[in-house]
Amino acid sequence: MQKLVVIGAGMASGRVLEHLFDTAPEAFDVTLFNAEPRGNYNRIMLSPVLSGEKTFEEIVTHDDAWYADNKVTTRFGEKVTKIDRDRKVVVGENGEVAYDKLIIGTGSAPFIIPMPGHDLPGVVAYRDLEDTNAMIDASAKPGGKAVVIGGGLLGLEAAAGLRLRGMDVTVLHIMGHLMERQLDEAAGYLLKQDLEKRGINVMLKAQTKCIEGDGKVERVLLEDGTVLEADIVCMAVGIRPAAALGQDAGLEMGRAIKVDAQMRTSDPDILAVGECVEFEGNLFGLVAPLYDQAKVLAKTLLGEDDAFKMRELSTKLKVTGCDLFSAGDFAEGDAREDIVFRDPKRGVYKRLVIEDDKLVGAVMYGDTADSNWFFGLIKDGSDISEMRDTIIFGPAFQGGGAAAADPLAAVAALPADAEICGCNGVCKGTIVTAIEGGATTLDDVKAITKASASCGTCTGLVEQVLAVTLGDSFEAKAEKPICKCTDLTHEDVRRLIKSQELKSQPAVWQQLAWKTPNGCHVCRPAINYYLLADWPLDYQDDLQSRFVNERNHANIQKDGTYSVMPRMWGGMTDPDELIAIAQAAKKFDAVVKVTGGQRIDLLGIKKEDLPAIWSDLNDAGMVSGHAYTKGLRTVKTCVGSDWCRFGTQDSTGLGIKLEKRLWGSWTPHKVKLGVSGCPRNCAEATCKDVGVICVDSGYQIGVAGAAGMDVKETERLIDVATEEEAIEWTVAFVQLYRENAKYLDRAYKWVAKVGLDWVKETLDDPATRAALIERFDISQSVYQHDPWAEHVENRKAQYAPLADLTTEAAE
Amino acid sequence: MSQPLAPVATFTRIAEVWIPEGDHLVHGGGAYDGAEGLSDLSGQMSFAKGEGLPGKAWAEARPVVLKEFDGSYFKRTEAAKEAGLTCAVAVPVFAGKTLKAVLVILCGDDADHHGAIEVWEDEGSKLVLTDGYYGTAKNFEAISQDISFAYGQGLPGGVWAASTPILMRDLSRIGAFIRAEAAGEIGLKNGLGVPVPVPGDKSYVLTLLSSENTPIARRFEIWDARPEVVGAEKKALRMDGFCALEGPLWPKENPPVDAVSASAWQGPVGQVLGSGLPEVHQGATGLPKGYTLMVALPVYKDTELTHVVAWYL
Repeated sequence: MQKLVVIGAGMASGRVLEHLFDTAPEAFDVTLFNAEPRGNYNRIMLSPVLSGEKTFEEIVTHDDAWYADNKVTTRFGEKVTKIDRDRKVVVGENGEVAYDKLIIGTGSAPFIIPMPGHDLPGVVAYRDLEDTNAMIDASAKPGGKAVVIGGGLLGLEAAAGLRLRGMDVTVLHIMGHLMERQLDEAAGYLLKQDLEKRGINVMLKAQTKCIEGDGKVERVLLEDGTVLEADIVCMAVGIRPAAALGQDAGLEMGRAIKVDAQMRTSDPDILAVGECVEFEGNLFGLVAPLYDQAKVLAKTLLGEDDAFKMRELSTKLKVTGCDLFSAGDFAEGDAREDIVFRDPKRGVYKRLVIEDDKLVGAVMYGDTADSNWFFGLIKDGSDISEMRDTIIFGPAFQGGGAAAADPLAAVAALPADAEICGCNGVCKGTIVTAIEGGATTLDDVKAITKASASCGTCTGLVEQVLAVTLGDSFEAKAEKPICKCTDLTHEDVRRLIKSQELKSQPAVWQQLAWKTPNGCHVCRPAINYYLLADWPLDYQDDLQSRFVNERNHANIQKDGTYSVMPRMWGGMTDPDELIAIAQAAKKFDAVVKVTGGQRIDLLGIKKEDLPAIWSDLNDAGMVSGHAYTKGLRTVKTCVGSDWCRFGTQDSTGLGIKLEKRLWGSWTPHKVKLGVSGCPRNCAEATCKDVGVICVDSGYQIGVAGAAGMDVKETERLIDVATEEEAIEWTVAFVQLYRENAKYLDRAYKWVAKVGLDWVKETLDDPATRAALIERFDISQSVYQHDPWAEHVENRKAQYAPLADLTTEAAE
Repeated sequence: MSQPLAPVATFTRIAEVWIPEGDHLVHGGGAYDGAEGLSDLSGQMSFAKGEGLPGKAWAEARPVVLKEFDGSYFKRTEAAKEAGLTCAVAVPVFAGKTLKAVLVILCGDDADHHGAIEVWEDEGSKLVLTDGYYGTAKNFEAISQDISFAYGQGLPGGVWAASTPILMRDLSRIGAFIRAEAAGEIGLKNGLGVPVPVPGDKSYVLTLLSSENTPIARRFEIWDARPEVVGAEKKALRMDGFCALEGPLWPKENPPVDAVSASAWQGPVGQVLGSGLPEVHQGATGLPKGYTLMVALPVYKDTELTHVVAWYL
């Protein structure tokens, strides 16, 4: 009988032994070492043990009786210190054992971030029963607080378990969404919502600075200054192969112990299995391939042919009630197409990624019923072109029936009691009855049945029912959706962002049933604007959702250079500013142009010089003129009563005050103001978005003018007596525009849509004006800052030129 | 674990189903553990809304615990006492606004055999005890009345947050579950928590806690029947469970591709999936080996059957 020594009693080596004993029970005399003082248990089920939903006894795979029945000599709780390949012995803490064949199954070790305080008592990893018990013990303190560092599978399972044990739990995750290796942003958003519903506090983009405590963990400090009290800190940030024994024994190593397809190491008498091996450059963390390896290894030991192959993997989060599935590759790519299905009411998101008529990836949240079918399509590389239109609905809709061929037929096939509008509980039969009773448009159906009257995400479905019932006589609504990602119009989306309190892009994509994973170049800038305008304190502006000029804070010119334009308050400047501008122009070889908005434009600046010229202009006290933004541009003024014989009021002073109040604010489109000191209107205020004409009795405020592709005179909003009132009405008008207009509608287009009367009526109420101004000021507390200074300070690197490698390549 | 079960007194002993028929609840079957008097009497009875224990659960649209038969609205007191029963709980099963049935569970305990039935009701952001039976475990009862559970916290909070039945082992080690020590003192070890949806805004969670000496039952199963898990077909997957004979009953693979499945109308659990009604199945036919009684409670979310909880004696 050959002597087989196994180091590590984990799930992989345990499966090897099962195969061996099943096939050739008398072939080997087995000695099993395990550093843990116990045998093989189902490690992946530690999470339900932590939560109290399982006992440890339930997850034991091999108990003492099993080892005894199979005559395994167990050396549990004993570490192996060395493998002596020359003598073919394994050296344990309590003595040596000779081997004919050796299996290394030492698994992996948790990665601990070496931050200050990581070694304090109370900081645990999440790997074995000892870690689990440490967390269970920590939960014994009523009102105890836990911090979990890491929002991956293990971290979240630990968090859910600790929460079920009754602790206050905060998860810190460094990335922008949870489980980013398995989920995309949309699914990550739903998972976060689900965990928050369980009372778990989730902090994303959280940079942990250190762990502190007097003799034991007491708190966790984040880079942004946040302090979190903690009775226990669980660090679940990843694993790395525990391969030191193999390395010390001189086996061929990569990032772990290298094995061939028969699970042999570079020493033919030593085999390895599980998380401590590297196969064709791959490391392993999920159990399915480990079981495959175990089967192959057992066959190799018995002299049978087999070969380990990499295969597609899928995974499940073991948090009761959280249903998610992911498999394959779901990164975005030019040659890839996404099919997205969302059901906001049920919290369902499904995304399929297709490349070359094959399903290459799938992410699902909330509805995983068909996950095995999708997984099969991915694994088999099946051609899905025939079922492209209905694949997202799963296998029930395939098979060549009418419903399979045409999505409209699928709607036609729905029974009368199928729910169409989840918000208002309206079924198909009710809608059909309304149509049969005379409803011919979406608005009719809305009015009669309330279908699509709330969140509006079923609009497309209601229109399909109209089309199915009315046939060709149905014409879809004239209002166009924002883009192909949604059936909703800009107005719908604005309304829903407010009413449903949607405060992030993933929230909009999910709750409003976006058809793409995360929008497109058309809708993203609009949604970014709506979110920052409605939720300035909650939403963080997303630079990637901005046009290039707004990202770079400068207008790109036809030759690829940029223009730089400092702000000149009300068109006023002074010698020092002019000298600084002149010096900058010389230094950066700029062309100088005086603009129609009473400012000086420096043209021809190279991208890499932008931070330097901004810095120079900042040093002279100037800030960005925002000549590139959908925001306040200029306030053009005439010289007013200070200098002009006809001037009735201090138009320059009012212009400066208005500009200082409004600059930095983002608006649906650009906003230009003019203030003229008398009706002669030298500042051309009557063709601005807001134009003020000063008269002897006060200020005439006009709005909705234009002087671009369209030319239009302003319309009178109100006449007021004082400068304060003029500022009050102007700010209130701008905020009303910010809160209500469609993205990329200039003020004149918006006013034409809503009607000047509505604008007047709304602003006529002093309380409404005050509320608008308050909200404007809240927004300005976040957004009224100089982007030049911020970019010089924090984002200099993004302007650095790409290295010119042409010369090196030539050499 | 293959030996036959030694006889052990279980906490839940009798179960019966009451079905709405017109303006009354009529007897829809039951298992009476040899209590023939109670069985005979029950078969002849019906309850109007508000009448008796089943009628009270219907009228109040919430689980109702009966702690004392004497002097109560219980209509079958003498027969129940004769059978050695000490308490009962009536669980209304609503699909949306429609009452499908009322499941009545009658239990028996004594000074040496402990068990508890609790009904938790949401009070905004926390669950508080609204009804409960604790038998002689007075200390545990007193503590329970003073605590509340937030979303996701402890067995009741976990059930509430996840909208799913949860079978908890090892209650005595759930430290922040303030009652752990008191639970440990009287040997309470396992807990079954079930969401009980009712019309209106209130959320209820029913928990059955039991000790090793007096288990609620010898075998538990939690079946997941949500369409988002099983698809359009009427079926369910067994996602958790424990059996005194067979040991753990949950899937071992991850993802759980090896979960046992049950289809509508096939077998006792299948009856629940098919009919949408609670089921009290008596006799060994169709039941796992070693058992002669199954009680199964369907759990709904709105009008959709989402889970089945089954226990076996």
